[in-house]
This record gives sequence, C-alpha cells and structure tokens, in this order.
Amino acid sequence: MSDEHKHHHHPHESAAPVTSQDAGSQALAEALGSSFAIVKVVMVLMVFAFFASGFFTVGPQEKAVILRFGKPIGEGQKALLTAGLHWSLPYPIDEVVRIPITEIQKVTSNSGWYLTTPEAELSEVEMPAGASLNPAVDGYAITADRNIIHTRATLYYHIDDPIRFVFDFVSASNTVQNALNNALLFTAARFNVDDILTRDVAGFHDAVLQRVGDLLEKAQLGIVIDQCEVQSIPPRQLKEVFAQVTTARENRNKLLNEAHTYENQVLNLSGAQATSVTNAAAAERTRYVDSITAESKRFSDLLPQYRSNPSLFEQMTFVQTMSQVFTNVQDKIYLPQRADGKPRELRLQLNREPQQPKPAAAP
Amino acid sequence: MKRNLLTLVIGAVLIVIFALLLFVFQVRQSEVAVVTTFGKPTAQPYDKPGAYFKWPWPIQKVYKFDQRVQNFNDKFSENLTADNNNLLTSVYVGWKISDAKSFFPKFAGGSVPAAQRMLESMLRSAKSAVIGKHTLSEFVNADPKDLQFDAIEKEIESSVQAQLQTNRCGIALEFLGFKKIGLPESVTQAVFARMTSERQVLISRAQFEGEGEAQKIKSAANRQASETINNAVADATRIRGEGEAAAAKVLPVFQQNPELANFLLRIDAIQQSLNQRATLIFDERTPPFDLFTGIPASSPSK
Repeated sequence: MSDEHKHHHHPHESAAPVTSQDAGSQALAEALGSSFAIVKVVMVLMVFAFFASGFFTVGPQEKAVILRFGKPIGEGQKALLTAGLHWSLPYPIDEVVRIPITEIQKVTSNSGWYLTTPEAELSEVEMPAGASLNPAVDGYAITADRNIIHTRATLYYHIDDPIRFVFDFVSASNTVQNALNNALLFTAARFNVDDILTRDVAGFHDAVLQRVGDLLEKAQLGIVIDQCEVQSIPPRQLKEVFAQVTTARENRNKLLNEAHTYENQVLNLSGAQATSVTNAAAAERTRYVDSITAESKRFSDLLPQYRSNPSLFEQMTFVQTMSQVFTNVQDKIYLPQRADGKPRELRLQLNREPQQPKPAAAP
Repeated sequence: MKRNLLTLVIGAVLIVIFALLLFVFQVRQSEVAVVTTFGKPTAQPYDKPGAYFKWPWPIQKVYKFDQRVQNFNDKFSENLTADNNNLLTSVYVGWKISDAKSFFPKFAGGSVPAAQRMLESMLRSAKSAVIGKHTLSEFVNADPKDLQFDAIEKEIESSVQAQLQTNRCGIALEFLGFKKIGLPESVTQAVFARMTSERQVLISRAQFEGEGEAQKIKSAANRQASETINNAVADATRIRGEGEAAAAKVLPVFQQNPELANFLLRIDAIQQSLNQRATLIFDERTPPFDLFTGIPASSPSK
C-alpha cells in the first residue's frame, strides 16, 4: 500500500513544483520559445543564403565551368556556361572556374624581331641600328641562303576546347607563342631571302601557317586558328642596299615594259603597212583587169564599124578626139606654115614651176 | 520527440560534414595527388578528378601537383655545329608530371623549379651532343631533302626523353622545338658584309638583264616587222601577176583586128597626154584645122 502510496505520491509531488513555479517556468519557456523562433528564422535564412550563394553570373567576355568534386560537369562544349545567371552547389562540393575569353585571342611571336618598343614603332622613329645584332636582345631568323632577316607573325585564334585549354596547360597562350616562333624559324630556314621578302611572300605566309597549324594540332591545345599575319623585313643595317635591288628590278621591268610597248607599236605598224601594200596591189589588179575588160568590150563594139570603113572611122574618131583635146588644152597656139615653106624658128621659155599659181600668190 | 529527431538529424549532418572534411579530399581536373601513409607514398594513383577517401592526419597526408603541361625554355646558348659554326639556340619544351609518385620524392616536395633546373641541364647536354653532329646547312636549306630541322628537334627530344627515362623522374615531354636561333654577334657583321655584296651582284645583274632583254625584244620586233612587210610586198607582186594573167586572157579579143587596137591605143594616148594644162602648138595640117587651108582645096584634090 505504502508502495502504492509512494507510487501515487510521486507524480503528485512532481506535479507540485510545476504548479508552484508556474509563473517562472512559463516565462522561461516563453523566452526559450521566442529565442527558438528567432533561431529558426535565422536558420531558414541561412539555408536560403546557403543556396543563394550558389548563384553566380558569367560575363560576356568569359565562360565558366563548374567542377563538382574537382571534375567538370559535362563534356567538351557542353561543360561551358555562357553569359548569364547560373547556379551551383556551394564550395567544397562545386567550384566555379571562370575562363576569360574574348572571342578572338591574339598572340605575337617574339623571337624574330630586333629590339624595339611599341612606342618607337608607332612613332616610326627607329632606334639607330648598330653594326651587328646582339643575340641577347635582337631576334632574327636565318634564311635558307644564310641571310639574316627580321620576321614576326601575329596569330589570331579562338578557343575551341576551353577544358583542354585551361585544365591541360599552365599557359596555353605561351605554348601558342612558342609554336609561332618555331614556325617562323623553321619556315625561314626553308626559304631564300628574296622569296620571303618579295618573290613569294604569300608562299612564306602559307608555309608559316601550315607549320604552326601542325605544331598546335600535335600539342592538342584545343584552339582553332582564325588568321595569321606575317611581316618580314631585311635587317635595318642593309635597308639601303635591299631598296637598291628593288629599284634596280623595277628599272629592269620598266625597260622591259618599254621594249614591249615598242614591240607592239612596230608590229602593229608593219601589219598595217603590209595590209595597205597588199590592198593596193589587189585594187590595182582589179582596176587593171576591169579596164582591160572594158577596153575589150569597147573594141568588140567598135570593130563592126571599123570593118565597114576603116579610114572613115579613123578620121572621124581622130577629129572627135582632137576636138575634145582642144577643149581641154589650156593654151592653143596656131602656127601656120610660112608662105615660103621655110621652117619657123620658135623659142620656148620653160619654167620649172607652173606659171599659173605665181600671180595668185604674189599679191 | 519531434524536436529530438530534428536535433539528431542536424547533429548527424554536422558529424557527416566534419567526417567528410577529415576523411575526403578532392582532386581537381588539372591536378594529380600523392597520398603518403606515415610518410610513405601509397600505390594508388590519384590522377583522375573527383573525391577520394583518406585517413586523417597524421596517418595519411595529401600532396597535390599541377598536372597541366608547363612551358619551359632554356637559356640562349652557344654550340658548335659539325662544320665548326657557332650557333646559338634556345629550345622550348612542354612538359608535365606524368607520374606523381616518382616525381614527388625526386624533387624535394615536388618542387617545379627544381624539376626545371634538371630539364635545363638535360637540354644542355642533349643540345651540345645533337647540334655537334649536324652541319649548319642541315639547319637552314632551301632543299627540303637536305633540311634536317625537324630531325634535329626530334633527336634532341629523344635524347631528353631517354635521360628522363633513366632518371625515372615522372616527367613526360609533350613537345620540344627551337624557339630562337642566332649567330654570335661578330658573325652577324660578317653575314651583313656578305649579304651586301650579294645584293650588289643582284643590282648589277638586274641592270644588265634589263638592258639586254629590252634590246632583244626590240630587235626581234624589228625583224618581225620587216619580215611582215617583205611578205606583203611579195604578196602584192603575186596579186599583180594574177591581174596580168587575167588580162592576158582578154588579149585574143584585140587580135581580131590589130590595126583597130593599135589605133584605139594611140587615140587614148593622145587623150590622156593632152588632158589638162598642156600647151598645144599646131599648124594648118593638124585636123580639124586643116580646114583653114581652104575647103575648096581639099575637095578638088580628091
């Protein structure tokens, strides 16, 4: 019973302090409750902040890759996030790697040009060249015929596989530059100086491009070449003498052009002359044949008349002709025979020039 | 009860996160890791990106290395070619850590500068050995058959490759090539002198060539022109001959009466010769002026 009483009593006893400390504990519970509420709100906010921190933006000049536990999500081009708002899990689960790429990248070679500064090149005032090239600072290439030239190239490319470009190379653009340097050296070593500078500039350019393309493909940089510019000049020390060669060649071409012009003129002229000679002959032939044909026709027409009375025909024709002749003739002098039958003496004064035009010109 | 469950879950999550931080490590895409157990590297390679398990420090320790291709170029240095030319060369290489487990103990703590120093010395010996075997004309040559540029690069590369293999340093050579080639400064001056004289030869050749060629072209043109004219003259003669041949066919007509033909010719001659601006002196015997001597005289005479 006592046991039962105890048993009964206990809950009663335990209930008693609750009721007795009612106000205090209630205040505590309320305080705890409200602070728990604040904690809850804070926790909810933190959870929000936690997830919101996963948002990030990618700018127009860059691309981004999310690494989950260090491994890119997606393969190749699919792994690339373009400009805009994106979300990732927070660190250390996900990590965002930004790849700054403008669309076209540009790299210039640096081992084939003499020492200069961009400012000096812009102002086109070149630093005076020494008698020799200092290998420590002046770059150049040796051509197949062992001449020295300066050459440089600028390569434009875009990144085709950013994963490879960023995650496989510490400095991919440096590799591109080295490949470009090597391409210039290699190609210059195969070309003669005149081909590089004047005769086969395009061929040199294509060969450089070919070589650099091969090297980059071998290195698997994940880039695509857009364009390549190559510039080559003779050493500044020999600028004059190279220019003289160019002038001499231009002069030669000028002489040749002049000769060709002369050739054309002479040939055209002789052709024209030849044509006129043959044409004249042909015309003469026609005229001759025509006239003789006409003559023969006249002969055939006159023949019956003549046959009927030759002397009458002859006299008539002669008198007709003479009347015509006398009409046409300018001066007619009738000189009858002297009565005594002796010959007359006649003096002729002959002028070399025809007399007619002189009086007209005199006044 | 509910609150207890929530607390438990939160506690568990926290413990899991803590455990993960202690027991898990990440290998990034570009990295390779070496895990040491009490200082001794474990056999398992960590060369693929992802998350991996490890025992916490001090049992295991993680070392991470950059697995990407690194660029390195040696100093611009002078070597003697087989034909005793001094040639300055600089070579670029792309190398990467291929075996982190070998790389790690070889260079104190996997130091990259230490590795590059070793590469530099390997390149130096490879270059002097290879360049010494080749003549300058194998470096530069217009004939692709004689040009050994590529082959020389390959020889240097395989020499370095062999040295890397014997040393077992966990480095792989990705590519190698000449970056810069030059001549000693004093030699450049000599080259300039030679180039100048070569240019001068070209200048005078261009001058002579121009004059000679122009002369050739002009004289050829003249010859051709006179040939054309001569041909034309010959043609003209032939054409005239044709005309005469055609005329000859007409001649038999005149043979029917040579007297008339003769008479007509003379009449024509008079007409043509006394055409214009002629002065004719005649006496009374010239018909029709014979009439002047008197009509009656003529009629009784008959």
